[in-house]
Amino acid sequence: MNSAAIAPGSPDELVERETRRVGTELADAFPSVARHPIRALDARALELASSDRELRAALFRFVDVVPACRSLDDLARHLTGLLDELPDAPPPIAAALRISHSKAGRAALGAAAAGGVKHMAHRFIVGETPSAALGVLRQLWERGVASSVDLLGEATVTEAEADRYAARCAQALEQLALAARAWPQRPILEIDGSGPVPRANVSVKVSALTPLLRPDAPEIGQRDAARRLRSLLRQARTLGAHVHVDMESLDSREAVLELLLALLSEDEFADGASVGLVLQAYLRDSPDQLTRILAWAGDSQRRPPIQVRLVKGAYWDHELVQARQHGWPVPVFEDKADCDRNFEALTRRLLQARPAVRVAIASHNLRSVAHAIAVSRVAGAEDRELELQVLRGLGDELQDALAARGFRVRTYCPVGDLVAGMAYLVRRLLENTSNESFLHEQANGTPLDQLLAPP
Amino acid sequence: MLSPFANEPVLELRRSAVRARLSDALARVDRELPINVPVRIGSDERVGDQLASTDPGEPERLVARAARADASDVAAAVAHARQGLRAWRSLPAAERARALIGAAAWLRERRLELAALEVRECAKPWPEADADVCEAIDFLEYYARGAIDLEPGRALLQMAGERNELHYVARGVVAVISPWNFPLAIPCGMTAAALATGNAVVLKPAEQSPALGHRLVQALRAGGVPPGAVALLPGEGDVGAALVRDPDVNAIAFTGSLPVGLEIVRAAAEPTPAQRHFKPVIAELGGKNCVIVAADADLDDAVPALVSSAFAYAGQKCSAASRVMVHEAIAEPLLQRLAGAVQVLVVGQAEQLGTEVPPVIERSAQERVNRYAELASEHGRIVARGAAVPDRGWFCPPTVVSELPPGSPVLEEEVFGPLLAIERVRDVAHACDLVDGLPFALTGGLFARDPTTVRYVRERTPVGNLYINRGITGAMVARQPFGGNRLSGTGTQAGGPDYLLQFVEPRVVTENTMRHGLEV
Repeated sequence: MNSAAIAPGSPDELVERETRRVGTELADAFPSVARHPIRALDARALELASSDRELRAALFRFVDVVPACRSLDDLARHLTGLLDELPDAPPPIAAALRISHSKAGRAALGAAAAGGVKHMAHRFIVGETPSAALGVLRQLWERGVASSVDLLGEATVTEAEADRYAARCAQALEQLALAARAWPQRPILEIDGSGPVPRANVSVKVSALTPLLRPDAPEIGQRDAARRLRSLLRQARTLGAHVHVDMESLDSREAVLELLLALLSEDEFADGASVGLVLQAYLRDSPDQLTRILAWAGDSQRRPPIQVRLVKGAYWDHELVQARQHGWPVPVFEDKADCDRNFEALTRRLLQARPAVRVAIASHNLRSVAHAIAVSRVAGAEDRELELQVLRGLGDELQDALAARGFRVRTYCPVGDLVAGMAYLVRRLLENTSNESFLHEQANGTPLDQLLAPP
Repeated sequence: MLSPFANEPVLELRRSAVRARLSDALARVDRELPINVPVRIGSDERVGDQLASTDPGEPERLVARAARADASDVAAAVAHARQGLRAWRSLPAAERARALIGAAAWLRERRLELAALEVRECAKPWPEADADVCEAIDFLEYYARGAIDLEPGRALLQMAGERNELHYVARGVVAVISPWNFPLAIPCGMTAAALATGNAVVLKPAEQSPALGHRLVQALRAGGVPPGAVALLPGEGDVGAALVRDPDVNAIAFTGSLPVGLEIVRAAAEPTPAQRHFKPVIAELGGKNCVIVAADADLDDAVPALVSSAFAYAGQKCSAASRVMVHEAIAEPLLQRLAGAVQVLVVGQAEQLGTEVPPVIERSAQERVNRYAELASEHGRIVARGAAVPDRGWFCPPTVVSELPPGSPVLEEEVFGPLLAIERVRDVAHACDLVDGLPFALTGGLFARDPTTVRYVRERTPVGNLYINRGITGAMVARQPFGGNRLSGTGTQAGGPDYLLQFVEPRVVTENTMRHGLEV
């Protein structure tokens, strides 16, 4: 969209004006980095990593292997093994390589590295178990921030692992629902025009609910996951909790979407539980997916309405590499501006489709968030008809700013041990150090005007 | 000018619209069954029904009726090929390339039906059947280009007063003897390499997959390879043996088992009285492929990769994993997860999308695999056995065994079926010692995240294809040239830059450029 082409007084112009106003307000409400010395330190470390591809790769490979290391010595060997492959190491790294020649040096290096990774992990992961996370979740709630708990785990390759994951989800639903009853009232977070919004909210992954997801035979995984998901939906309905079904790579999209829509069409789920799904804006065919979802939502009279969480999508590299290796058309937008424009187009369609769907806009891009708020307002809707979502550890400033301005914001909170968390952590770090990333631009001092300009 | 080589994209079967096309293709192929496969020599065709190929998943279903070539067919085919050779070898490489690329186009147009025929004749599950068709296309396109590049020969040191030239010429008549497990790609690869470089080919396809051999020859002829340059001799072992002994065969390209390969090498080494040349044998043979799992391996990656490397297409690939050497520190979780993953493998008919373990090729294969499985349970501990198998068809349950004693045939012989042996090792060096003790050296795998471990294994392993942190099957033309060392093969790697050199002989011409003491 070219802002010069927008006619004064037109709805588009109103949206643009409102987007800038909201964006500026939110930016003003961002906590200053100076008050967060630890974040400033993280930012510098990430900056170092983003500036050097090879170093970035070495560090990510290291983070990835940390849980598999059996001792500090082993850890240090891995670190130096990876750093040794760098063509020219920056001074701090060269120093690390020098101390690794002695056993004592390796122990010190291993301890420092383990500490560093643990520190980073804690920034993104709220606790090892749901019960351990309850304290953080309550604090967030009290500050006006809702949450969705995501249970990290190893890949599911066996039935036993699928059962175990389903049991962990069930337990999380129960513990959360129980604990949340004692939380203070936060009307912004728990009611909208369609009725109550559950406090307990768990995000689940279909790939963890079955070992049988096969891209070329989605119905096999669908069948196997259905029994486990069905029992989670029953439980969520009884507890008054929300189950959000995450979307992963394109290989499993059909299975996930068809599974969920089929289950929700069953009579027993005609009035609950509260359920959500995900739309990934980086996919070129996401507009068709939305058409399918909205057609279903229009036909289905189930209550409460399904929530659609609009995200950019977290498997961009995977999709690109897989498509190139197979010679397939690339399913994702390769140009960031195209993706951002699609995100906004989907935002408009979703917001227009209310109340047949509930809408959550999940983005750390200030422009995308402000744009969604503006579109919603220009359409005459109250702010509570729109939910905004961020990721723990990446969207903390935005989360606080949104809460301060009275929006319903929900933070996606991964829970799990360090071993399970590494894949998640690596993905988040990659995202955070990508030069295309909004957070990266923001941290680099791109002027607000530019950050809020139409894509 | 040809576009640069690119692999033929496999079907994007994750899209329902693409999947929907498969059942139609299968129905079309079913209506044509059984396919009549003739002996084709020059422009002559002779149909017959002495040979039958059946669907391994439904042995009552006749897929093809083939004429059986006999000794006089072998002699006639080779004699015809000698004739046809003259015109074919004298064409510029670019013209031969045009014919091969025409054959690739013929295959491409019929790729769904060809994949469907693989589903029926060899019980290849759809994704693997499709990949085989694509690989056949890749071989044609790749070797066509390779032969053009080879045509100018090589640069030599030039000196005043002389002109030195090195160029390559076709060896002559090449006998191609191919297996059924990649029923289009492997015969196509060997045949295309021979043809691209100007040889004439007599193809003897596996008796289990004559229909696909027939389709290959149809493609080549349709693409413009003259009848004299390629003949088709459906038949059994005796046809291959007669070809190998024929004095007018100049080279043999064979892919198959080690025992047959050794026989061929022996027979080819002994010139018959009328023979005036050595017969090189380009052989791709068996393997006993090992995957090493180091203590720092990511089991989330390793388990699915091991399962698909060992059990996809019921383990009937020369590249398939058959031994896993796992560091004792993570042996327990690996065994546990692997066992669970094998229990959920989808065992079923090849035509069902999602099937991972189809039936094996024939009754005798089922008996052989079962014999090894019995040995495994006698000598070791069965860790997992897959789901119940359908009662029709040559099915074998996928099986994982551990704690086998050293020297067990299950650890040393090629099973060529869905049986995987797991061994605990003290460390990666121990695993490398075990790998080193084997006579085979085809593919190998390593799961490790320490670059030092990767370097160590890379230096020590004798295998032709080492895969790191991924499955060990699925080599792609031009990306992973494929072939083994030791008793796994005599050739250089297929689908790679050196492969064509085996089908040509070098000739050097040196001309004195001095006349009357002057350089002219």
